[in-house]
Amino acid sequence: MTRASGATPESGAAPESGATPESGATPTYQPGGMPPLEVRDVTVRFAGLTALDGVSFTVEPGTVHALIGPNGAGKSTCFNVLSGVYRATSGSVRLGGAELTALRPHEVAALGVARTFQNIALSPRLPVRDNLLLGRHRLTRAGFVAAGLRLPRARREERAHEARIAEIAAFVGLGDLLGTPVGLLPYGVRKRVELARALAMEPRLLLLDEPVAGMNSGERVEMAELIVSVRESLGISILLVEHDMGMVMRLADRVTVLDFGRRIADGPPAEVQNDPKVVGAYLGTEEGL
Amino acid sequence: MSRHLIRAGVLAAFVVVPFYLEGFWLQAGLFAMSAAVGAIGLNLLTGATGQLSMGHAFFLAVGAYAYVYFAAEPTGSLGGLGLPTPLAAVLAVVLSGAAGGLFSPIAGRLKGAYLGIATLALIFLGQHLLFNAGPVTGGFNGRAVPPLELFGFVFSDAPELVVMDVPFGALERLWFLGGAVLLAAALFARGVLRGRPGRAMNTIRDHEIAAGVMGVPVARYRAGVFVLSSMYGGLAGVLLALVFQRTVPDYFGMLLSLDYLAMIVIGGLGSVGGAVIGAVFVSLLPQLLTRYGDALPLVAAPGSGDGVSPAEAARLLYGAAVVAVVLFLPGGLLGLLHSLRRRLPGLRLPLSANPTPSPETRS
Repeated sequence: MTRASGATPESGAAPESGATPESGATPTYQPGGMPPLEVRDVTVRFAGLTALDGVSFTVEPGTVHALIGPNGAGKSTCFNVLSGVYRATSGSVRLGGAELTALRPHEVAALGVARTFQNIALSPRLPVRDNLLLGRHRLTRAGFVAAGLRLPRARREERAHEARIAEIAAFVGLGDLLGTPVGLLPYGVRKRVELARALAMEPRLLLLDEPVAGMNSGERVEMAELIVSVRESLGISILLVEHDMGMVMRLADRVTVLDFGRRIADGPPAEVQNDPKVVGAYLGTEEGL
Repeated sequence: MSRHLIRAGVLAAFVVVPFYLEGFWLQAGLFAMSAAVGAIGLNLLTGATGQLSMGHAFFLAVGAYAYVYFAAEPTGSLGGLGLPTPLAAVLAVVLSGAAGGLFSPIAGRLKGAYLGIATLALIFLGQHLLFNAGPVTGGFNGRAVPPLELFGFVFSDAPELVVMDVPFGALERLWFLGGAVLLAAALFARGVLRGRPGRAMNTIRDHEIAAGVMGVPVARYRAGVFVLSSMYGGLAGVLLALVFQRTVPDYFGMLLSLDYLAMIVIGGLGSVGGAVIGAVFVSLLPQLLTRYGDALPLVAAPGSGDGVSPAEAARLLYGAAVVAVVLFLPGGLLGLLHSLRRRLPGLRLPLSANPTPSPETRS
């Protein structure tokens, strides 16, 4: 999978990456291009409820980082802070030089942060192609006038990005479904459309909110393979919320565990798995908290 | 191939109409065209973006009255700028957009039904201005509308014009203007809906948070669509004023806004075709009832007391139509047409199992 030339979000990327934008299957991994995501002491309060309490973790460039915890631990709140949907009460989230907590969702998206939703958030009546093209929104220009008058500029842009969408769809295994309205697709396939739409943004950081929730075991395996190949071929950082422990342990390079809005563990999967606090949070022992 | 044939047929029928139909039907058709332009605008906002507006009548009023004010020569108590009429028409549309722009801080922040409530205020503001800003609007009596003059061609009855033994008055001339305006408005809206803005709008409707996260500046888009929809309303108002030849303040009230909402619901939300079909249905129904009211039970001339007036009967009928569409036809009349078209080949299937080819397949 090649990065579309001109679609690379980094402006001051290393010269060799700019020189070979069309290199083949081997990813052009830009050392300066993938900044770490640093979450520092983020607290979120809704009226009296503290949903996140001083949570810190770092997603290293090009890794898969898992965020786990029992229901109500604050994982989704954390995702909503990272994508600009919720405002943090205090704390900071930095991606490279940018502070994300002060930005609105579309400004966060403009920095190359893409996310999927736990409950599928696609337009059911639009075909897969249009849903994926929405992911190109930040990379395209056509406004009301250009689209309304069908200016040559807008048509060219549409064609170029449709070609890229076809590549991404093929990569995710949706190649022959581009014209099908999303509402007609089965659940597992819609989950993949969500992932493809996020990839269509050419992100630097991908936030996946329970990508295999509600899937059968075959679909789970396929999705896990897909996530691995996304990381390998694109070299982007992935932050993953997931309940499927087997999948987390297989995929993640590092795991952060939340419980009642607090971070209770952070480390490599094998280490976290045996942490008594984590076991306590999931199984409910008295010394767990 | 067949699509081209259908288009050519529609065009031919459109051109032939003014040569055969009387003024009553031409006027009804022109009202429908104006309504279609306005409904396309409202469908961009309400159908495609999910933003309810009860204030569409206000923007029609802005368009209609702005055209009159810009185009009319000042006379006595009534003001006017006396601008060339095409320029006045363009400025009227721009002014409607500007009025929408003034409202856009609200239109950008409020969503769905909340915007609907806020836009109600526009109706009352509009009615107050129309009745009280006498020097501009003519108050209760309204104002006469100066005919449009395009490159020396006047859209009125005055210089007589006979084409193929048919006298071409204002309505016949406006028929072609209205058709051209509607076609341009429809093509522009279709381009918007099928392009990048349309995808963003649909996602704002279906999933506001997802739209933001995918990089769509939601508030800016809502405000932008509101302005665009206001300009369509203004254009519909200009066309309406030209056809009606007089602006009447009462007309631009709440009922007109409701009519427009009925149009897009009945025709089909979110599409250009749906807006046009709904506009034709809602604006022709009262005319049909007026014309053929004598033959219908329960419909009587207004004021006679024997039954409901044609206008009331029409409202009752399309009120029922709205309910029927919401219950049974989620895609509106346009959705019904699409599903009929899909089903027709299905109906023919048993026939085509027959070894002898049907005439259609042979050709």
